[in-house]
Amino acid sequence: MTAMTPPPASRLPGLSRRTLLAGFVGTAGLALLATGCTSEDGDGGPALSPAQADQLAAQVAVQEAVVAAYAAAAAADPALGGQLTPQAEQASAQLEGLRAAAPGATSSASAAPAGPPPGSDVRGWLREQVGAAAGAHEAACADQVAARAALLGSVAAGLRGQEAVLA
Amino acid sequence: MAEDGAPGEQDTAAEDGALREAVAAEHAAVWGYGVVGAALPPADRGAAVEAENAHRDVRDRLGALLDERDLDPVAAEAAYELPFPVLSPVDAAALAAVLEAGVSAAWVAVLDDAVQGPTRALAVRELGAAEVRAVRWRAAAGQTPATTPFPGLPAD
Repeated sequence: MTAMTPPPASRLPGLSRRTLLAGFVGTAGLALLATGCTSEDGDGGPALSPAQADQLAAQVAVQEAVVAAYAAAAAADPALGGQLTPQAEQASAQLEGLRAAAPGATSSASAAPAGPPPGSDVRGWLREQVGAAAGAHEAACADQVAARAALLGSVAAGLRGQEAVLA
Repeated sequence: MAEDGAPGEQDTAAEDGALREAVAAEHAAVWGYGVVGAALPPADRGAAVEAENAHRDVRDRLGALLDERDLDPVAAEAAYELPFPVLSPVDAAALAAVLEAGVSAAWVAVLDDAVQGPTRALAVRELGAAEVRAVRWRAAAGQTPATTPFPGLPAD
């Protein structure tokens, strides 16, 4: 099974899929999204409708809550916080990506959750927060288009992965 | 909005093309998990079998969707080039993570090109499922962190 058939073998997809989204995750690429139109072909980068803009801003608030939840969990359980530093950093990177794609989104401190109840299962509480945010991003993804749908879907999937780590 | 109106009023050519690419990625994943399973001890093959079945199911559902749209089926390649030799359980887990990354990239491309909400819902669901599997395989391969912030999107 491990022997490869040399000539007709095709590359496994994934290492270099397409260049359409190249640089998307980079700061410059994300900044382009804030303009609402990144494509020259008309249909590839549709302008953001007011409803879509509101929704993106809402997803920024959702992600702010995730970042706050990681901080609250780390404060309640420093050992757990130490273990989850990479995931907390990734949640922050996701927030920056969403902010760059959401014109006019402002930081909303009220989005921060109250934190895990005293004596509760901090890990379980954090998992619930992350899972709920993933669900919210997934639902919003279906209503967005093009690069913004791709970004929301990717962030949602990243949070699903974090949720799995927290299980 | 013109780009998100009723199905049938939109140009689905790009979406169809991305879905065809997703079928190709799922074909590769099904094939690749055969390699993954063969490199794992029998007691550890359950996750590989489960993943292979999941990808086969998605591939078949996508094939049916393409058929509904009167699009030609996408055939699997006879063989695929492995990105590295798969000689150990760690190699197998690393390959599985690569397979899931390939599928994730295909689903992100579908999200980028989709004009229909149900297509995006399908894509985001499968993208999440692929990342959950990828996290477990990265952990099994000893890769840290096992999570990624932007599955399927090209790294900068």
